[in-house]
Amino acid sequence: MQDAVLMSPVAFAHALRKPVSGEVNGMETALSFAAADVEATRNETLSICDVSNLNRFGVKGPQSAAWLQAAGVTLPEGTNSWTPQDNGSLVMRLGNSEFLVEDQPENSLCQTLNDTAVETAGVHKVIRNDAAFIVSGKLTSALFSEVCEIDLEGGALEDNRLVMTVIAGVSATMLKQSLNNQPVYRIWCDGTFGPYLWKTLLGIIEEQGGGPVGFNFYYEIN
Amino acid sequence: MKLLECPVNGVRPLSEFTYGGEYRDMPDPDTCSDKEWAAYVHYRAGAPGLKKEWWYHGPSGTWFIAERNTLTDKVSRTYIAGQEESK
Repeated sequence: MQDAVLMSPVAFAHALRKPVSGEVNGMETALSFAAADVEATRNETLSICDVSNLNRFGVKGPQSAAWLQAAGVTLPEGTNSWTPQDNGSLVMRLGNSEFLVEDQPENSLCQTLNDTAVETAGVHKVIRNDAAFIVSGKLTSALFSEVCEIDLEGGALEDNRLVMTVIAGVSATMLKQSLNNQPVYRIWCDGTFGPYLWKTLLGIIEEQGGGPVGFNFYYEIN
Repeated sequence: MKLLECPVNGVRPLSEFTYGGEYRDMPDPDTCSDKEWAAYVHYRAGAPGLKKEWWYHGPSGTWFIAERNTLTDKVSRTYIAGQEESK
């Protein structure tokens, strides 16, 4: 029997654009949608990238913070905030006692945590099947003012804060970080809503003169 | 746009929330009479006034209590159940 290769939750939404695909973290992923210079131009204006393949680990419960700290994870102190680890992994505090950890392609913190048995009372693993996107470009405010329920112009995402809100009718978690020395917005939503959210955001992005970029635009894998 | 304050996530548009029904103290099913239990299960106080209500913030999965005057639709405070003293 062959080993299964997962597909990105938004793979079918990508298919018509015939991206160059490859396997990252065991998931079939769109590595590029166009030539590098075309993607760079899109990225300057407004672009969206599917990064659902990044490894994640979710945990919640009243003892989850202590459990993560015992595992050597540095936690954000405030509710609805995030902090990077020394190795680049993101640790997000969702509300008070729920955490989402996301790795960069080259590190394996989530793999280690997922492989660790949880035997502590008050700690519960949360299975994640997120669709995850990176949105960036000079016209991001035009995009989010159209689809986001809250105003992001007022500093809602400054100082490593994150928001859980509704984007185009879909519940999503959102933060702003610097990636490759560029400010980018990160969005996570339930994977089953991924194709809809991708198509909706991409429709507006293309109206604004932008477009999709592949995983390799941010992360050099293949 | 109507706004409601989630005790965890702050002020958000009402479209992010779902009403979860009136909050009522449940009598102890082991010690209360059948009449008290039936009243708890079947009766609702429909008269307008200040009510405690369950509300749900969908994007974060947060259930909380809102104290709302159902006559004026004014919410006086919101808090996580069991943490009303902090508000």
